[in-house]
Amino acid sequence: MTWLDYPTYLLLTSVFWLLALVLLLTPKKSVFHTLKAVFLFVGWAAIITFTISLWISLERPPFRTLAETRLWYGVFISSIGIVLYYRWNQPLMLAYTLFMALLFLFLNYLNPDTFDKTLMPALQSPWFIPHVVVYIVGYAFLGFSSLIGVYGLYLYYKEKNIERIMLMADNIVYIGFAFLTFGLLFGALWAKEAWGHYWTWDPKETWAFLTWLAYLLYIHFRLKKKQSPKTALWIVSLAFVVLLICWFGINYLPSAQSSVHVYSS
Amino acid sequence: MSQNKPEKRKKSKLWQFPWGYRESFVIAFFLLLTGFLIELLLGGGVRMPAWPVNIAIILIFIIYFVLIHRMIKHPIVKWLSSTQAAIAAITTFTVMVLLLGFIPQGATSQEPRLIDSLGLTNVTSSWPYLMSALYLLIVLGFTIVRRFRSFSIKNIAFLLNHIGLWIVVVAASLGSADMWKLSMQLEVNHPVMTAFDSHRNTYNMGFGMMLLDFDIEEYPPEVGLMRNADYTLKLEKGGKLATVEEGTTEILDKYSLSFERYLPYAQKYGDIYDTTSHRGGARAAYIVVTDESSGIIAEGWVADGSYAVPASYLMINDELSLAMTQLRPKKYSSDIRIYHSMEEYEDFHIEVNKPVSIGGWMVYQVGYDEQMGRWSETSVIELVRDPWLPVVYVGIFMILFGSLYLLWMGKGRIKTKKA
Repeated sequence: MTWLDYPTYLLLTSVFWLLALVLLLTPKKSVFHTLKAVFLFVGWAAIITFTISLWISLERPPFRTLAETRLWYGVFISSIGIVLYYRWNQPLMLAYTLFMALLFLFLNYLNPDTFDKTLMPALQSPWFIPHVVVYIVGYAFLGFSSLIGVYGLYLYYKEKNIERIMLMADNIVYIGFAFLTFGLLFGALWAKEAWGHYWTWDPKETWAFLTWLAYLLYIHFRLKKKQSPKTALWIVSLAFVVLLICWFGINYLPSAQSSVHVYSS
Repeated sequence: MSQNKPEKRKKSKLWQFPWGYRESFVIAFFLLLTGFLIELLLGGGVRMPAWPVNIAIILIFIIYFVLIHRMIKHPIVKWLSSTQAAIAAITTFTVMVLLLGFIPQGATSQEPRLIDSLGLTNVTSSWPYLMSALYLLIVLGFTIVRRFRSFSIKNIAFLLNHIGLWIVVVAASLGSADMWKLSMQLEVNHPVMTAFDSHRNTYNMGFGMMLLDFDIEEYPPEVGLMRNADYTLKLEKGGKLATVEEGTTEILDKYSLSFERYLPYAQKYGDIYDTTSHRGGARAAYIVVTDESSGIIAEGWVADGSYAVPASYLMINDELSLAMTQLRPKKYSSDIRIYHSMEEYEDFHIEVNKPVSIGGWMVYQVGYDEQMGRWSETSVIELVRDPWLPVVYVGIFMILFGSLYLLWMGKGRIKTKKA
């Protein structure tokens, strides 16, 4: 299976998830509620099927190019949304995450990869999969926390109670931040094996570190309970911009043209 | 950054204890300003001290922290371990790293520009960066000391993360002057005793290295459609190239390509290619191209070419030709002999991602002669020695475990409505 087969699977996923979203607010124990679960699962299964068979036909882990990481992001963030929905009954969060997942998956439709089996020697390491997976899981949680941040700002300006949303943002930032830390440190340990030094201020490293600092700022700001939640919400929302520069923007920055992390052709 | 709101703070004067955000940011601002001024006046950036000065600095740092804990009630010490100071320090440091992230590093122009003189094209060795890092390390240090005084099992994650970070930053920056990174260019059967650093200074290593064999494992060749007009590859979005394998047929666009023959080492004789045992052979394939509607439309040789053998394209029509892609290495490796003395030697094998520790050095495979490709008889290796590495690793693993704890516990203050 190649990216040429992708539109079929994307269509399946989109249709089923949109159907599930239509049924989003149906009450529990109704037929529609069951139907919604089925739609969610079928949509999810379609994109998982594509991902796995892409992996098999590439004969290498699909973690190299931007389109491949976007694919995983779609898979992870929708999974998180579905789990949170059934665990804590968060329909709005489900809607958000499915929307984000579809957005990223749709970007891949507009901009698919060419089918490329090659993996340069530097990437052939046992570190490759854990390094990228913890980053993408981290991105998914942190992206999610920033969505909560934006939603919190909306509630704040509407003068609604945001205490619950703040607690949720805090906990999700902690999880995402832990994964981001793993990503950075795994990267450092791998870099020592591959390039001889654990930290070289490669532009991607610099921006990953900046992302880490931005969320670190949020965590510390939240330690003082009486501080303005508005500032905290702005920090967590803007931190996502840094994250996106680290992930995509790096390819366009003049300061990053020599990065060893720009692998897509 | 926002000022904090509580009313009594609003009326208090600057520098009146307890210090808060205003004081923290004002101090940060002056630290940066001082840093930029020193950079402008002295120029040339900061040189990290080597052993034993660096260990002395670290010890002074630690002794200072240990002694100061008696003064934990002093308002300045209190401030240094406060969240406000931490936020100011993180923000200041973030600003410096942001500059590093946006400004291309390494001065390029002959005439030093203002950003060069301010150290902004060499952020990590500039004075303002050093100032921001010092601010961070001092605040971090005081925070650790304060938390140590009220040690409890709950603090373990806190201490692991904060001490780990302090160790990593201190050991990585103060240890950098003790790190050696040299490269050697090895040729087959020629012992080499000298290595270069990044400034092209040469060093006599006291031992000899000789390349026994250099080996490249390559990905199978691929062919694609090339536009005759500008020699660019015509590649459909999401599409792929055809992998060459003798006896198979692949579809590319509306054309069917059958690979009649494939020669991994070929020489060109007139119009045809044939297997060669000489060095420099190229990869060549005999391809028959058919079009569903009009049958066979072209056949002939396609080759990627090497330094010794010319490349060939196969013209399909006025617009398109078939071309073979350049060789892509799957992995490359070197067999090397190290001579400790004339009689005593040791052989070892290195490849990318698989360095070897030998003679007190970590030896890395970094490159080869790309012009020669798979016929390269040159191997570039790097020799690294970093005595501070174990210390940095201690810090890294402390943070790893601290983060694991964070992941497990979260912020730990989830209140459910029903509870």
